[in-house]
Amino acid sequence: MKTINSHPYQWPYNGDLRPENTALIIIDMQTDFCGKGGYVDAMGYDLTLTRAPIAPIKEVLSAMREKGYHILHTREGHRPDLSDLPANKRWRSQQIGAGIGDPGPCGKILVRGEPGWDIIEELYPKDGETIIDKPGKGSFYATDLEMVLRMRGIENLVVCGITTDVCVSTTMREANDRGFECVVLEDCCGATDKGNHDASMKMVTMQGGVFGAVADSKTLIAGLV
Amino acid sequence: MQTIPADPFAFPFERGRLGLIIIDMQRDFVEPGGFGASLGNDVSRLGAIVPTVARLLAGFRRAGLPVIHTRECHRPDLSDLPDAKRDRGTPNLRIGEPGPMGRLLVAGEAGAEIVPELAPMPGETVLDKPGKGAFCRTNFEALLQERGLRHLIFAGVTTEVCVQTTMREANDRGYDCLLATDATESYFQSFKAATIEMITAQGGIVGWAASTDKILEVLSA
Repeated sequence: MKTINSHPYQWPYNGDLRPENTALIIIDMQTDFCGKGGYVDAMGYDLTLTRAPIAPIKEVLSAMREKGYHILHTREGHRPDLSDLPANKRWRSQQIGAGIGDPGPCGKILVRGEPGWDIIEELYPKDGETIIDKPGKGSFYATDLEMVLRMRGIENLVVCGITTDVCVSTTMREANDRGFECVVLEDCCGATDKGNHDASMKMVTMQGGVFGAVADSKTLIAGLV
Repeated sequence: MQTIPADPFAFPFERGRLGLIIIDMQRDFVEPGGFGASLGNDVSRLGAIVPTVARLLAGFRRAGLPVIHTRECHRPDLSDLPDAKRDRGTPNLRIGEPGPMGRLLVAGEAGAEIVPELAPMPGETVLDKPGKGAFCRTNFEALLQERGLRHLIFAGVTTEVCVQTTMREANDRGYDCLLATDATESYFQSFKAATIEMITAQGGIVGWAASTDKILEVLSA
């Protein structure tokens, strides 16, 4: 039995924590969400909130790489012709002054291949790590993430990234419904609003861990096999 | 690991991960007066495999291995029936219209039930599906994953439509699929033969094929 000292329960539920069946999934650590001139910056939010998780994620990433855990990165973005961009998503982004597909300081906002869409240098994927490009908030919708996880026999997911209440929360809910055992790392997530971050964490822990468990980077690293 | 002698080569499987999938052995497809017959097909070809499917089913039940039955059918309000499927070819009877065994291909109607000789037992899963493939708009994959199944034996009708579509979907998802060649049938003899060839071609590009006797020999060993 090997578990992490998480709450509201010791994760994973069955004590089967191994590099072979466990993956770190880092959600959307892209310039558009935490870099100068990106999408979040263009909407006028305080970047310190979404940049706060960079350092702790780096620690977790390096510890899990060293022990041979599976590493996955996701990127939210759309095809250059925007054929996978729902009209209402585009319209709403335009209302707040940062239209998806429109030119910005880091290239076209949230468009695949543009500088702003890429993962930040500090957390850049290494060769052999899986990158999932997703058109939505959830990492399972319209992607091959589930197939990749199943083929590798991955059962446990360590979830982190930005933003907590949007892409991280959606992905964790999707994973949980599919039977994956999830822990989210509190200090490795960030939101554009602190209240939303805190509420997202609390929601996970209700009802005995309705979506999984919550831990932080130090606890996880200390408990890694 | 055990193996079943099969085409194009032996089918390896772990006993605890083997399941039987019986596709659409419904009265609408197999019995006179159903949907299949309304399209002008000779349904006696399909009725002829019922005893063989029953033997295969009995073998799985004896071995205590899981069985999943599928049924192609639609919600009574037809909200899951594409227009294209209802109207194509302007058939004499459309899906949802009253036929001799109730409304055609509608869940809960007599014609949508599995033939009595192969009726599911308590504890066996019945999966209703709106399309040809069992994975499309259903929880089939979740059911397979919950039971830990990786190796699937396929039987049922019709070989080139629902059976083959489901085998292709399963193959792409990483399942090992074997077709029980005498426990499946088509309204068209040549389509059945071509399907078995397509499945086993190129080193089993979709899967394996073997007779019911060969499967049962290994199961009862």
